[in-house]
Parts: sequence; structure tokens; C-alpha cells
Amino acid sequence: MTVGLNAFLTVSGLLFAIGVFGVLLRRNTLVIYMSLELMLNAVNLALVSFSRYNATPDHSMMDGPVFVFFIITVAAAEVAVGLAIIVALYRKRQTIFVSELNALKN
Amino acid sequence: MNDRLAIYSEMAQENSWLSILPEISLGVLALLLLVLEMTLPKERQGLILRLALFGQVVILLAGVVFSSLFGVATEHTSFNGLLMHSVRGDVMRLFFLLCSLLVCHLGHQYASRRGLPQVEFIHLVLIVTAGLMLLAQSHNFILLFVALETVTVGFYILVSYSRGSLYSLEAGLKYLILGAFSSAILLFGIVLLYGAGGNPQLPGSSGDPMNFALLGSFIEANPDNILVLAGTVLVLCGVAFKIGAVPFQIWIPDVYQGAPIPVTAFLAVASKAGGFIVLIILVQGPFAPLERVLVPMLGAIAILTILFGNLGALSQKNVKRLMGLSGIAHAGYMLLGIVASFQVPWAANAVVFYLFTYLLASFAIFGVMNNMGPLEDGDMTLDDFKDLARKNPYNAAVLAIGLGSLAGIPPLAGFIGKLLIFIAAFKAGLYGLLGVAVIGVVLSIYYYFGWILEVYFWPSLVKAESEETIEPSGPGLIPAANSHRIVLGCLTAGTLILGFYQGALSYLL
Repeated sequence: MTVGLNAFLTVSGLLFAIGVFGVLLRRNTLVIYMSLELMLNAVNLALVSFSRYNATPDHSMMDGPVFVFFIITVAAAEVAVGLAIIVALYRKRQTIFVSELNALKN
Repeated sequence: MNDRLAIYSEMAQENSWLSILPEISLGVLALLLLVLEMTLPKERQGLILRLALFGQVVILLAGVVFSSLFGVATEHTSFNGLLMHSVRGDVMRLFFLLCSLLVCHLGHQYASRRGLPQVEFIHLVLIVTAGLMLLAQSHNFILLFVALETVTVGFYILVSYSRGSLYSLEAGLKYLILGAFSSAILLFGIVLLYGAGGNPQLPGSSGDPMNFALLGSFIEANPDNILVLAGTVLVLCGVAFKIGAVPFQIWIPDVYQGAPIPVTAFLAVASKAGGFIVLIILVQGPFAPLERVLVPMLGAIAILTILFGNLGALSQKNVKRLMGLSGIAHAGYMLLGIVASFQVPWAANAVVFYLFTYLLASFAIFGVMNNMGPLEDGDMTLDDFKDLARKNPYNAAVLAIGLGSLAGIPPLAGFIGKLLIFIAAFKAGLYGLLGVAVIGVVLSIYYYFGWILEVYFWPSLVKAESEETIEPSGPGLIPAANSHRIVLGCLTAGTLILGFYQGALSYLL
């Protein structure tokens, strides 16, 4: 049995949707962070599967998988900075819940 | 194997490293600063700041000389289609260099007063600037994304740079979450375009759909493909976050309020300009065939953005939030220029001109705010500017001219910028949008003049207790007050001169 492109794209779309709702609905910063990573990985999955299924003998479509490496690197940089900010904020406020971080307002 | 090698060597022929020399030198300068901080003895650390400023001035001047002598004659690509060299790209590179110079100056002043580390600040600003300069020339989605993320990750750190301040950290976290969210949306859009553009069963598909030129010809062949439309909308959502257009503007007031003043200025000017140059590249390149969909969509966004920004700013007392909200309104006017550029090609250059006037006025205002004393800057309100005219007439005049330019008062540069965009919109026949924009300008005069009133016409009974600010002179630098006066004077002079004489930038139009 072969798995088609649509199956991959469905999984990718589902992962992305889970990520979006996680970011919008969750209150814990760390969980929001995981949801963001989920969104990026959904993108990676879609990139790889598009590049696999669109490849022809003329075009190997390798820029998709190369792009995945760039995305992984960027995501790692983002996590490093993000966790540093969360730690610094936790030291200051003793909380990482978005609803309690409300110093900035009108 | 050998023909693979032949392909690679052919690709490598297109690498023209000289053309990205400014970016490379910025990166080298940034690394050099870190090395010098480790190796130089404590008492000679002032040298680092001078080197940073001097290096940027040299790069800027060399850039001006080279682009005016051997400017880009015809648009051409290099690095196998990763970069596109154009006059507009070169102008925007100089724009970003100018921004980084001003931000380094403000940042030095800000950090030395608050005892924050300075070298890392300048390092980050230089890296972000190099990213922005590459962004202005991008011609490929991979390069665009990587450059954009260099900028964004740098900004995460810069926004939360004041580690002792709760405001700054919280703004950093908010910017981080929303920024990463918008990057993911942008990426998903890119992937959809990549998937559609590489599909061998569709007409016009190619083996390299990340390339803007190839993607453009694919979109022209399939303007109604659902994947193409969805991908375009998602990519534009990601860009809308950068420029702060409705509905992705929620982060702006909070982040502007919490970030240190120099970073707020950098965000307001350079990050927004980065978003606009990407938008110009996209709508004049690959997305041009989608005019039928994009004009109503961007037009609606422009109307909402202008109204949201101006109505929000009307009752705002916190100056940094006020600058943020009025900046949203300015993004709306510039979006109007982008919408017009589908019909009137020079409208895109009018947007670039507008960005220059916005840079001059905004940096003058943020420079004055930076000079307002050591209070927690997230809490600075209009009341703090009471009677500034008597306490510090020079700063008050700079502030008034900057605000006047942002409001679009006739002899100043901001007026010309607005006028050009409005003429373009009129020629493109966007009368409804134009009406909303004029209403927005009228509203903006109300709150900008409210600020000027505080500065000039506050009936003061109390004596000005003390002279404006305490100026701790930076290590080994010329006394901060004088250099700051000169910078503010130059910005104000630029605003005045550009109002009367646009020759310096007229080759854009």
C-alpha cells in the first residue's frame, strides 16, 4: 500500500491546526512554546512531502529539504532566546502564566 | 558526478560577493566588537563604541558613494537567483544603515545611563541591520525567511534587553510568542506556494518555485488555484504582522511600551520598513498577477489600519503607546501607497520616500524622549512633557518639528510624503480609501497637537525645578549632550530640507 501526498498534507494540516489552537487557547507559556514548535514541524512535514511527490527526473526539488534544515536551525535559535526570556521573567514574577503577565496595559 | 560538478561551478559563477560587501563588513564589525570587549582592558573600552560608530559611518559613506557612482544600471540577480539588485534595494540598504547608526547612538546614551552592557547591544543592532539589508534584496523565499528570522530573533533579545525591568521582559515575551506565531503562518504560506508551484501537472510549474521570478510566472498561469490563493494570503498575514497592520497589530502598543526607547525607535522605523520592502518586492514581483484579489484585500486592511491607529491614539496618554498607535496609522497610509502601486508603479517609490520622512521625524522624537531623564520609560506620559519649552527649548523645538512632520503640516517632509502617496492613490482611482486616509490625517492632527500644546502652552505656575537631565558622560566619548544635540539637529534639518527640496531622493520617483 502506498501513502499518497494527501495523507501527508492532512497530517501536516492537523498538526498546524493543533499548534494554532494551542497558542491561542493555552495559558502556560511553556505549552504555548511547544505549540509553536508543533506549527514549525507541521511546515517541515509539508515541505518534505511536497518535495518528495513533486520531484520529476528533471527537477529533483531539493530546495524543500534544504529549507527544512534552515527552519530547524531558526527554531532552535528561537527556543534558546525564548527560554532565556521565560527564565528571566520567572525570576522576576514567579509565574509563567500569560494571564498573570499583565503589567503592560493602558 | 562530473556533470553535477559542472552545474555547481556554473552556479558558483553567479556569486558576486562584492555586491554584499556592506552586509559582510557589518557582520565582521559586529564580531570584532565582541572580541575587542574580551581583550581590551577596562579603561580602553570606550574605543569599542567609537570603532562601532566609525565603522558604520565608513560603510554608510562608501555605500552612498558607490551607489551614486556605479549604481545598479539594470536590475539583475546574483547568487543563483537568491538576491535581486535594484536601485530601490540599494536605497533601502542605506536607509537601514542610517537607522542602525542612529539606534547605536541612542542605545549608547540609554545603556550608559542605566548601566546596561553596551557592546552586546551594538552587536545585536549590527547583526539585525545586516539581516534587514539582505531582506531588502531578497529574491527567494528561503533567503527571505532566513533574513527575516535573523532580524526577528535579534529583536526578541533587544526588546527584552533591560533585564531588570519587568516591562521590558514582558514585552519581550509577548513579542516572542506573537512573532514566532506569525513566522509559522508565513512559513505555512510559503510551503503552500512551494507545493503548488512545483506541481508538475500544473501549467508553468518549475523546479525552483521558491524563486520569485519563477513563482511569478507560475502564479500568472494559475491565478485561481486554491493553494496559490491560500498561500498568498498566509504569506501576507506574516508580513502584516511585521508592519503592524490590522488584524495583526495587537502586539504593537504593549511591545512599544515595554521595550527600551532605542529599541522602540528601531522597531518603529527599521522593522516596519523591512516589512514594507518585503511587501513591495512581493506585490511587484510574484503576487502582481493576483491584483484582482489583493487590491480589495489590502485596501480593506489599509482602511481598518488607518482607523484603528488614529482612533486608538486619540485618548492615549502614554507617549510610547501613542507612538505605537500612531505608527499603526502611518502603516495604513503606506499600505494605501502599496495598493495604489498596482495601478501607478511609482507609488512604491512614494512609500520609500514616506519611510525616509518617517525615519527623520520618529528618531527626532525618540531622541528627545531618550533625553527626558532616568524615570522608568514605560510609564512616560504626556504630562512629563509639560513645559518642556521653558526647561529645554532646543529639545522642545526638535519635538515640535518632528510631531509636525508626522502630522503632515505643509512645509515639512511628512507633508510631501503624504502628498505623494495621496496623489498616487488619486491617480489609481482609490477615492474611498483616500477619503478615509484624509479623515485619519485630520484625527492625527488632534493628538499630535495635543502633545505640542503640552510642550509649549502649559500655563506653568511651578518653576522648572531642575535642569532637564543628568548627562553621565560615556566612557571616553565626547560629552553626550553635545553629540546628542548635533544628531537631533541633523534629523530636524533633514525634515525641513526634505520638505522644500526632494532632489536628493527624487531619482526614486
